Amino acid sequence: MQEQMQADFTLDLRGESCPYPVIYTLDTLEGLEGGKLLKIITDCPASFRNVPEETVKRGYQLADFPIKNGQDILFYVYT
Amino acid sequence: MYFIKHSILNYWNPYIALLLAGILSALYFAFTGAVWAVTGEFTRLGGEFLGLFGADISGWAYFDMIRMDGTTLTRPGGWMIWGMFAGALIMVLLSNNFKIRVPRQKRRYVQGLFGGIIAGFGARLALGCNLAAFFTGVPQFSLHSWIFIVATGAGSYIGAKIVQTRWWKGKPALAKGGGKSTVKATRTIQPFVGGVIAVLYLSLIVLFFAQGQILLGFGALFGALFGILIERGQICFTSAFRDLWIMGRSIMAKAIIAGMAVSSVLTIAVIASYGMLPITQIAAPSTFIGGALFGLGIVMASSCETGMMYRLMEGQILYFTVFAGNIAGATFLAFAWDHLGVYDLFVASGAELNLVPAFGPVGAVLATLLILLALYIIVKLRGDNYHAVLNVKKGGKRYAGTDAS
Repeated sequence: MQEQMQADFTLDLRGESCPYPVIYTLDTLEGLEGGKLLKIITDCPASFRNVPEETVKRGYQLADFPIKNGQDILFYVYT
Repeated sequence: MYFIKHSILNYWNPYIALLLAGILSALYFAFTGAVWAVTGEFTRLGGEFLGLFGADISGWAYFDMIRMDGTTLTRPGGWMIWGMFAGALIMVLLSNNFKIRVPRQKRRYVQGLFGGIIAGFGARLALGCNLAAFFTGVPQFSLHSWIFIVATGAGSYIGAKIVQTRWWKGKPALAKGGGKSTVKATRTIQPFVGGVIAVLYLSLIVLFFAQGQILLGFGALFGALFGILIERGQICFTSAFRDLWIMGRSIMAKAIIAGMAVSSVLTIAVIASYGMLPITQIAAPSTFIGGALFGLGIVMASSCETGMMYRLMEGQILYFTVFAGNIAGATFLAFAWDHLGVYDLFVASGAELNLVPAFGPVGAVLATLLILLALYIIVKLRGDNYHAVLNVKKGGKRYAGTDAS
């Protein structure tokens, strides 16, 4: 069901190790205009926690709970 | 965070993992008289590796000091390492989380290798890493660990500045649109393999004890338990420092401090009741220099010697280069120790200083708890201060920068 959510941008960070997923996510969110939906895919286990926590802490909103997909995690964030 | 409660992320709270690690390391000391440590064994591995190529290391002072008896499979410290790998791998497989993870930025391999070398060299120069000169050094009341912690803080601060530069971090690929749907079939082979490895490894531990190899048994057992904890808690000493500097994220640092506090109280009880001597290392200029190099190296490599172990078991192949770097750096230090005069320059002037003989057991533990409390407050303020700055800037443009002070 959540897979059908249509994102405006996709940030595929699979393979990158901590801390780069969270740095990349915050950099990207800062660079995008507001009101868009950003999809983030990551497979670094540390980022399962620090990516959603740090984005929310900075005032961004998650569009849904993080979605586990095999060994990957998907996040949908409003920019 | 509300969504952590909806736990699809079944990792353990870092506080729980680190409190358990603190308790277990005090128990390991009580049973064996040794502490949870890894880099000393990395150096011995480097020595054995040199031996494979016919190098004669019998005259190297550093290897005499850390004792090269037997092989890595007949040393309790060796089984501590292999146990940590095994414990971490078992948990990764049981949670179906093994995956070959290949970094897209090829520069990470170079960064990991050089960071690993610097961290391995620094850790052994200071006679410990984030364990023996930190997590298990503070509860031994060895003064050198406090010097090491301060120096690691300084080195990691410089490292945090470096890894945020454009040329270091690189750019991610941002694609337009939602991308393809990539729903994966759930495979259940991993938990099965993990279960088999767990049974085999448990049999090995039982075998050690049955043969009267008590120290090997304890090394293998506690190694696996520590491996489970670092993986399940995603315990990361690198992030404890780095994330505090980069984004004011303080949970890992606070959990480590809490773990050390519990471990200190239990360890002093062990020392007092069994009349054991705390394990003390030399505090010297080398401690500070080594700690600073260690702090810089772990941030460059994205991992310290402990975090590297479970990340490698998760299939993050970047950490092969970090592992190789750690061993190369530690082995080079062992060479430089006497051959390049490192000992005479930076270590000879030092002394083994311990809080227990200086202040008595009660004084030592009270002093330690007080400094830990001060450290906790500093970390908490750093975290809070950062967010205060963020909130001010968030009013206009949403801000996710890194230059708050």
